[in-house]
Amino acid sequence: MSNPATVLRASGLRKNYPSGDRVLEVLSGVDLTVAAGESVSIRGESGSGKSTLLNILAGLDRPDAGELFWADEAAHQLSLGDLTARRGRFLGMVFQSYYLIPELDAFANVLMGARVIGGVGAAERARTAALLKRVGLAERGHHLPSQLSGGERQRVAVARALMNRPHVILADEPTGNLDERTGDSIVELLLGVCAEEKAALVLVTHNPAHAKKTARQLLLRDGRFAATL
Amino acid sequence: MPWPLYLALKQLFPSGRRLPFFTIISIMGVGLGVALMLVSTSVMGGFGHQIKTMIIDTQGEVQIRGRSPMEATAAVESAIAGVPAVAASSPYAQGVVMLEYGHRPAFPVIQGFDLARIRQVIPLNRYMTAGSLDDLDDDSVILSSLLAGSLGVNVGDKLDLYTPLMLERMKRNEVLLPREVRVAGIFRIGHQQLDSSTVLCSLRLMQDLYGLRQMVHGYNVRLKPGADPDAAVAALNRVLPPVARALTWFEANADFQAVLSFERNMIFFLLTFIVVVAAFSITSSLLVTVVRKTREIGLLGAMGGRARSVAACFCFQGLFIGVGGTVAGLGLGFLLLHYRNAAVHFIASFTMGQDVFEKFYQFSNLPAYTETKDVVIIVVFSVIASTLAGLIPAWRAAKLKPVEALRSE
Ligand SMILES: Nc1ncnc2c1ncn2[C@@H]1O[C@H](COP(=O)(O)OP(=O)(O)OP(=O)(O)O)[C@@H](O)[C@H]1O
Ligand SMILES: [Mg+2]
Repeated sequence: MSNPATVLRASGLRKNYPSGDRVLEVLSGVDLTVAAGESVSIRGESGSGKSTLLNILAGLDRPDAGELFWADEAAHQLSLGDLTARRGRFLGMVFQSYYLIPELDAFANVLMGARVIGGVGAAERARTAALLKRVGLAERGHHLPSQLSGGERQRVAVARALMNRPHVILADEPTGNLDERTGDSIVELLLGVCAEEKAALVLVTHNPAHAKKTARQLLLRDGRFAATL
Repeated sequence: MPWPLYLALKQLFPSGRRLPFFTIISIMGVGLGVALMLVSTSVMGGFGHQIKTMIIDTQGEVQIRGRSPMEATAAVESAIAGVPAVAASSPYAQGVVMLEYGHRPAFPVIQGFDLARIRQVIPLNRYMTAGSLDDLDDDSVILSSLLAGSLGVNVGDKLDLYTPLMLERMKRNEVLLPREVRVAGIFRIGHQQLDSSTVLCSLRLMQDLYGLRQMVHGYNVRLKPGADPDAAVAALNRVLPPVARALTWFEANADFQAVLSFERNMIFFLLTFIVVVAAFSITSSLLVTVVRKTREIGLLGAMGGRARSVAACFCFQGLFIGVGGTVAGLGLGFLLLHYRNAAVHFIASFTMGQDVFEKFYQFSNLPAYTETKDVVIIVVFSVIASTLAGLIPAWRAAKLKPVEALRSE
């Protein structure tokens, strides 16, 4: 079996999409191993399949072939429903467009991470407050997403992803909608918090400077990871 | 609190923001439907209740009818009085006569009552508008108001009464002269049918007019307060001779009651469509919400929220709108009922004037009588309709795959 220190392991992942009468081969044998607490960046041209890969790693989508392990669990053998039931505790996701719930304030958005997988009590509220403080929004808990800037919204999303102490954070171009300075600070934040929380980080990005900050850099090209950058 | 419930509440009533339009409009839609159903069934119920009172006041709660004229023997009387629920009874005989005043004829129904006993059964005094019940003797009658009006008769005037008995005598070449009677009083019940053409007289006069000798057509019975008419009727039918049968006021007027309840149910049925339309508008708004919130729904999946929980969130929204709308509707409905007369007078004064209104509709005050049963039906119906309204959007939301939802623009 896999090494217990391995938090995410994929081998031979394939994904095709039908495109007219031909098939579009997006992933053609992706192998990836992420160790606990490790940070990995994935770059690649637009359309190279980065989001597709991330969604498969997250168990939101199924590969056409290949194996996926979430820690020791054979995720490729689970149904999408079972994956959903485990996802909330195992991993957290951050997206380019934040996806905060507009009717909930920042505090409630972060707490929602815990709500979705179970009840909320004093411990969860305390953790929410601590996380908001950590991402620098201690005073903004009662603000609605519409009252926050893009960078602040992404900070809330980062805090939400960390709510249930996940083993991995999957971030799909988290700085895509932000200006450079704000983007830099978000990447710094992600790396910093993940290290503190001992969560691995898989960061999809177009920005080479951001990619360089992770422990390991990968390039997705022609449906697999290129040997060199 | 399970998160679908929590999120449903927050989406309808977000904290720190104005109520969303969707919430207000949806609740108002259901509320208006509920209020209209409540007001209309209550007013219909009010008419029904008023008519019930009139019927009981003029017939007693129970009527005993002979299949043919029956002998008013002591045995029958004591059998009736022996039923514990019976408070009082009074024999009657009825038929049709021709009335003539000046040269104007009329063909009213005539009812003869035992003058000594009728007061214990029927509170006729309450409905006298002229003259007095005390002046009624074997040579006088009391007329209903519309009949008196159409003949132009006043108290003290003399009328001629012709009876079917005269025709029978004529066949035997005998001549029976019309009976001259005095008008002792005029009554008005307040209901067209009952007021239009009725003559009241003493039982003895009626027995003379119809050649009944000592026979009667039946009894009007008043029950003790709180007695169950159905039980009383069953008890009476056990002791009455086969020639007579007891009926509740409801059975005695079954045709009339059937028309009333048909009207009532029809109006209720038509008004349910207001709530159905409101429910459809909830469905379409929630469908728009599902589309608008596609990416959030995808996110909930990405956070570990199950499809059926996402669906539940939309069902709860329908339920809450239903509950909110029903509460608002009941509030509005009872408020309207409370101020119904002011409202009616206000509308009447604008459209036709108070007096015209009263002339046409025969009432000056709108009656209302709300039955608990109706309120329960309205509440259950509107809450269920609104919850069902959330089902289609919920199903659409549950069908969304998170990957596709997150990818959608
Ligand atoms: N559901 C789908 N049906 C058909 N084709 C799809 C589908 N999802 C993705 N694709 C195709 O797969 C390829 C990879 O898409 P993906 O979104 O993974 O790219 P990406 O690397 O994330 O690009 P970007 O950097 O622009 O986000 C694209 O060519 C896209 O058109
Ligand atoms: Mg992408």
